[in-house]
Amino acid sequence: MSELRIEATINGRKVKRTAQPHQRLLDFLRDDLHLTGAKEGCGAGECGTCSVFVDGVLKKSCLVPVGKAQGTNIETVESLAMGNDLSVLQQAFHKAGASQCGYCIPGMVMAATAAMRANPFAGREEIKERLGGNICRCTGYQKIIDAVELARDVQNGRLPISALAELDQEDGKFIGANIRRLDAPSKVSGALKYAADMTMPNMLHLQVLRSPHPHARIVSIDTSQAEAMDGVEGVITCADVPGEDGFGVFVHDQPIMARDKVRYVGEAVAAVASEDPVIARRALEKIKVVYEPLPALFDIDAAMAKDAPVLHDYAPDNVTKHIPIRVGDIEQGFAESDLVIEETYSTQAIEHAYLEPEAGLAYVDPDGVVTVISPSQNITHHRHMLSKIIAQPINKVRFIMSPVGGGFGGKEDMIYQGMLALMAMKTRRPVRLVFTREESIASTAKRHPSRTVLKMGLMSDGRIRALQLNMICDGGAYGLSSEGVMRKAAILGAGPYNIPHLRVDTLALYTNNTPSGAFRSFGALQTQFATETTLDMAAERLGLDPFEIRRVNAMRNGATTHTKQKLKSVSLLRVLEAAAKGSNWEAGIPTSRGDTRTDMGGEGLRPACTLGARFETIEATEPQSEVA
Amino acid sequence: MLHCDTYLTPASLDEAFDAMAAHQGRCRIVAGATDLLPWAREGRAGDVSIPVLIDITRIPEMNERRIDDKRVRLGAATPIQRFLDGPSLGRALPGMPRCAVWFADDQIRESATVGGNIVNASPAGDCIPPLIAHEAEVELAAKRDGKIVRRRMKLDQFVRGPSRTAIEEGELLTAFECDALAGYGGSFEKVGHRRSLVISVACIAALVKLDDSGRGFEDVRLAIAGVGPVPQRLSDVEEFLRAAPISQERLEQAAEMPVARVQSRTRQAYRREVLRGFVMRGLINALRRAGAGPEILAPELEASYV
Repeated sequence: MSELRIEATINGRKVKRTAQPHQRLLDFLRDDLHLTGAKEGCGAGECGTCSVFVDGVLKKSCLVPVGKAQGTNIETVESLAMGNDLSVLQQAFHKAGASQCGYCIPGMVMAATAAMRANPFAGREEIKERLGGNICRCTGYQKIIDAVELARDVQNGRLPISALAELDQEDGKFIGANIRRLDAPSKVSGALKYAADMTMPNMLHLQVLRSPHPHARIVSIDTSQAEAMDGVEGVITCADVPGEDGFGVFVHDQPIMARDKVRYVGEAVAAVASEDPVIARRALEKIKVVYEPLPALFDIDAAMAKDAPVLHDYAPDNVTKHIPIRVGDIEQGFAESDLVIEETYSTQAIEHAYLEPEAGLAYVDPDGVVTVISPSQNITHHRHMLSKIIAQPINKVRFIMSPVGGGFGGKEDMIYQGMLALMAMKTRRPVRLVFTREESIASTAKRHPSRTVLKMGLMSDGRIRALQLNMICDGGAYGLSSEGVMRKAAILGAGPYNIPHLRVDTLALYTNNTPSGAFRSFGALQTQFATETTLDMAAERLGLDPFEIRRVNAMRNGATTHTKQKLKSVSLLRVLEAAAKGSNWEAGIPTSRGDTRTDMGGEGLRPACTLGARFETIEATEPQSEVA
Repeated sequence: MLHCDTYLTPASLDEAFDAMAAHQGRCRIVAGATDLLPWAREGRAGDVSIPVLIDITRIPEMNERRIDDKRVRLGAATPIQRFLDGPSLGRALPGMPRCAVWFADDQIRESATVGGNIVNASPAGDCIPPLIAHEAEVELAAKRDGKIVRRRMKLDQFVRGPSRTAIEEGELLTAFECDALAGYGGSFEKVGHRRSLVISVACIAALVKLDDSGRGFEDVRLAIAGVGPVPQRLSDVEEFLRAAPISQERLEQAAEMPVARVQSRTRQAYRREVLRGFVMRGLINALRRAGAGPEILAPELEASYV
């Protein structure tokens, strides 16, 4: 190993340091210099959370070997705002409400800074193009692009500096007013510390050994070689759990680390702590696990088959949860209908892909309180579960919620916090775990893949008489939020429509796929996709406008839902009106228009997949002005 | 993750060859590193240990740039973004700027090099079709008996298959040379799952020059990638197009010709459809940039394909 000597100017200061030759510039900045404004979202150049300037050129520091930093001038997001003064761009991000979770924002601010340096007059399309390497999952990009345009206009004198200030607002009026976020300055400056940015003295790094099998019996786990390695401070398995092992949002069916069996590829089996994450990683290879592969279930049909392998002893039919709703007489409803449509719909697993991969830091405080800091979306429940798992009274367990770099439901599950707590208890040292993007995708919950058979009966004027909906979901290896997701899918699946005869069944099954869990809309997306699509087909078949068929069936103020909830106010008609207006909707039967429709093209729409907005600027540049 | 014990940054070709000889069998050349680092991750190569990495980007020769009326010579470590800095390089190589703007993103293009894209020899390597259309030659250097020796080869012969090239042990790709084609119209059409940071499902590069009448091709060059094991020049289509004045009918006939070349492992029917459309769109865009007027490019024709 020959250490590298790095001499560079970083944010205006000379830095002389040794670095490990395998480090990336991102590691050097974050781990060695504690400049944590640059984040690691993917480690593969896909997301742009790690962007920094190297000799004035913006680069993704996760793709820059630290050896390339020798002799360079590096600017990180920390250099943009010195002291309390945010740059014009940072102020514009604050003003425009361009930061939500904030994890992508330092990179976005850097990319926007680079775009404005490259072309201070760039138009909206060129700005989008130049920010193309940065991903955001919360804002939908519009506010970010708005912010860059605002900053551009202020910098060019087209707007006064006061355009960056907060709007005057009526006293006490918040609803309907554009209120700036209190936490935005900490996000646009890169100052906010997410869990992976936090360190403590004497801290260890955790690495996790994961199952390569979808379903296997664990015959034995031998950690002796790993424990004997120099630099390894602790190894844990399920044997280290002192209390009642099991977590889950509804049913506590998942152990902290696999116990007796593994049930999906990526399930945690053991974990190692070391001061050097590379040593911890190498120690994982020394853990000997003997598996006896078992037949595995990969889809819902296999899970329902007669004599299917049973994944959890408490659920011999592999059913995680079944939610039924019955209203009226479904057969009578179909008999009365003028039109009956039956279709099958399926949806796939979807990854949340929040920009912040899971991370956490745990320690045992001087009073013996086991403390876990993590971007958990459910800390109180986690605290109660962990108390049982580690057999400690509730006042000896503390959860601190760190800033969540995007969750969307994917951070509700206590998928790694238990391991951190166990290792902190075992080593009596602070322990940090930071997932790689790949680890995050492989081991955490997905949106439930589903298959819905939907049968709808309607009268010729478009009124729904009967709706029968049967959804079966792949819940994956553990329960997580499946029960709640099935409940919501059932309650909301038939939509905000008056339907006299209704029969809804939603069902989640255990399989050996990655567990399914909470995800924005929580099951309603899958069932409503089926219902709304069927309504569009019905509109075609009955010769009705798609908006009209929804108006005909819409619940109105005072309606009672399918599950007997009284609704004082229903906004559906207003929503429909706004959607029709916003989309420039041309009323009529969907099939009747073809090439003549007037609501395609026009304001607010752009051609798909175009690039090259900058060529106008490039062509206008005379070659003489280029720096040789 | 990628692990190495030593990271070397030679300052000259000589030093680079000495390092390659000293660490033969345990070293790897790195340029932009934008392929190497994502490769050494879970799901691809996983944890990779390479004892010695030799970074060639600081060798002056690897960054040279020479442009004259006939040829353009660029060092292999030229970052892709250089084609978008200003108009001069793009005027000499009209096939490259449109390709560059579709390549990864602004930040990766500052690191990723043209030479790296060539030696990776991906079936979807975006730089290769426009360079083939520019009649690019690669220059390979090696150190034998203390002397640096060089050889040249046409790019379309250098790329042999997926990740396979004619480079030999101990050789470095140092530079490439292309036809300077000022006055040509160039286009690059690409489709992937999104705009930035995406590998081509299919792409095409077109270069055209109108004849004096403005109604025929004085020259036309087409190359495709993403639809088979190696990027290909469409010489038969070029010949067909040169044989008669430009018309919508001729263009549409030409667009049918390469469809049978699709040999991808997946989504062949989709790629055939795309390729047909891309020949049309690539030619129309290149013609417009070469100065073709409405007598050749009727607005309805443009509206159907662009």
